[in-house]
Amino acid sequence: MSTTKRQTQPKSRLWGWLTSIRLTVHLLLILAAVAIIGAVLPQEQPAEVYLSRFGETWGTVIWRSGLADIYFSIWFLAPVCLLALNILACLIHGLPRAWRRSFTPLSGEAALTLPQRARLQWPRGTDPREAVAGIWRRELGRTRRQALPGKEVFSHETGRFRPLGPYLVHLALLFILAGGLIGKFWGIEGSLPLAQGETAQSFQSVGGAEVPLDFQVRLDRFQVQFYGEGGIPKEFRSDLTFTKNIKNLQGGRELRATCRVNEPVSFGGFTFYQASYGTQPEDQVRLQVIQGSHRESLQVPLHQLLTLPGGEAQIMVIKVEGNLQGYGPAVQLAYKSGPEHPLIFWVLKDHPEMQEQIGPYRFALESANFQFYSVFQVNRDPGVPCVYLGFLLLLPGFYLAFFRPHQCWALVLEKSPKGDWQGRLLGSSPRAREGFDLRQTRLLEELKKGTPS
Amino acid sequence: MSQLLGMAMLLYLGVAIILVMAELWSSLWMQRAGRGLLWAGLALHSGALIGRWYASYRMAAGPTPPMVFLEKLRLVILQAPLSNYYDSLVFFSWCLPAMGLLAFRRHLQGWLGAIVAMLACLLLAKASFGGVNANIQPLMPALKSNWLLIHVVVCFLGYAALTVAFGAALLYLIQDYSPREALPALPMLDRLIYRAAILGFFLLTFGILTGAVWAETAWGKYWSWDPKEDASLVTWLIYAAMIHARLLKGWQGRRIAWLAVLGFLAIIFTYFGVNYLQSMHAYMT
Repeated sequence: MSTTKRQTQPKSRLWGWLTSIRLTVHLLLILAAVAIIGAVLPQEQPAEVYLSRFGETWGTVIWRSGLADIYFSIWFLAPVCLLALNILACLIHGLPRAWRRSFTPLSGEAALTLPQRARLQWPRGTDPREAVAGIWRRELGRTRRQALPGKEVFSHETGRFRPLGPYLVHLALLFILAGGLIGKFWGIEGSLPLAQGETAQSFQSVGGAEVPLDFQVRLDRFQVQFYGEGGIPKEFRSDLTFTKNIKNLQGGRELRATCRVNEPVSFGGFTFYQASYGTQPEDQVRLQVIQGSHRESLQVPLHQLLTLPGGEAQIMVIKVEGNLQGYGPAVQLAYKSGPEHPLIFWVLKDHPEMQEQIGPYRFALESANFQFYSVFQVNRDPGVPCVYLGFLLLLPGFYLAFFRPHQCWALVLEKSPKGDWQGRLLGSSPRAREGFDLRQTRLLEELKKGTPS
Repeated sequence: MSQLLGMAMLLYLGVAIILVMAELWSSLWMQRAGRGLLWAGLALHSGALIGRWYASYRMAAGPTPPMVFLEKLRLVILQAPLSNYYDSLVFFSWCLPAMGLLAFRRHLQGWLGAIVAMLACLLLAKASFGGVNANIQPLMPALKSNWLLIHVVVCFLGYAALTVAFGAALLYLIQDYSPREALPALPMLDRLIYRAAILGFFLLTFGILTGAVWAETAWGKYWSWDPKEDASLVTWLIYAAMIHARLLKGWQGRRIAWLAVLGFLAIIFTYFGVNYLQSMHAYMT
């Protein structure tokens, strides 16, 4: 990124604005402000929530202006797109130069142009070259030694690739933004509830549309474990079988896999995540029908008319509750006898005393069992590899940019006409003064040890 | 274990007082004593953390601990004491002196040392007396991931580095508005703010990345615009703006210090504020 110069042509003015750091800082602060609103204001709620919470006027303003879905509104997308352009412009603007700089090692000639830091002088008759070479190697490591006419140059460079660091970081950010965009436009997400033994060939997308799968998924077994009785859930485990019919392949392709929280399963381009679970009644309950002193236990299917023994009436199970208002398991029955209007009433499993006589019958609930069903999040996000590539690039980028400061050092030894050796210590480090100063002090200390003057 | 934490808390308080006195009377031996006590507090604090880790492991392992080494290791990693609000307060507090002593050794004395020790003490006090449930709770399925350890550790180390930057910024602003001899020199503080912010920014970035990768495996979404994610994004943007302003516009001194303070407020919001919003990250207390 460069500092902007005043330019007169509109094209270069636009370019200057796009590559300016002022734009970057402003955009970052604007985005921060937008994200604060997004964090504090509940997002993606129905309109009524905003109306009841903020009143008619403000609720409408919030709902209409897109603040309620801020990350997909102009408020967020416009600055993000502008930031992406800004980053791209800066990459185009500065990368070639950074690239050239990184791949041109410090030459003897270039080392001579570094700013001078100190002067040294050795007494007549001593040849400091070997001593200097030793110190240089000990203090700085890899050394370049070059003999030029009349002088000898020791040089050393670290962090040559530092200029690439910031560009790598910004390239990584572009990858992440691009991946997010790809996911937004070409990704699908939805959910799929499955009961044990159930097979599905499609799922519901977030928007409510039915998304067909070109394979079948069956939930073979679903287990929920709790920590102790009535504790919090310990583990959800779904055993799934995926089958895909493939032409010319007997039985097609099949995959059996276990899906847990944090352990998704992928098949046919979709990934299944264990998202949540629920309970539903099994499709039969066991009822006891009491007629005088005669008791009979019946298996009653849900939502089907059943003629009672004796044939005087019919019943249907309308609803099953696991815990009806704190009174335990209950079923709701419809009872129809002759031309009369049907009677609707609850039968409680744990409170048979509350059950009244209906016609000639009394009812008792023996068992109403529930089973868990599993809910999967189903996703296909082609943007994820792009985002992950960005993540991977960020790390070396940060390392180069912040933890490998660029330092250049050179010591030029020259023999004066009188025959004594003189030295000049040169060096520069544009962005890490502190480490540079420390090293300079140490270097000078070491170099001066062997020189009385 | 809670006794160990109590002692660490008292030590941190003592360190803060001693370091302030050392600064007021410019006494070298008190500086040394303060530093020594800070190490002692950190050692006790580490002991308490390891003890809680062990207890949590024993509880999860039950009467039949896994025999295979890899299974054992996995359980050890999962049971790191980082899974609820209490754990996080204790760990945040631990990160402050640890980060200070390891990464900013030369600067962690006098006023800055006192600020860091005092904040560590306050966090422990909040954990002990703030009505926070200190029981070891079994792990929910969503937290059973190797990412838990790395994500939480990196994030809190990042917070700690940024807290050091905040401490330095505070001193800078005080020094700048009413110069005092006892306070560190401005250029030194300026550099310290920047260095601590860089380290914290790097760790924060890494923390967000690990969180995104974890979210992708747990929920199938690397980013869900959860309030905690938004707040950490705000924090990240503020520090990004600060680093750009400094490296490319040459901002220094007062403006950088104010940005460091702003960033710290964002961290406080990320850590405490989000608990009051509907968030997947809200700690159940």
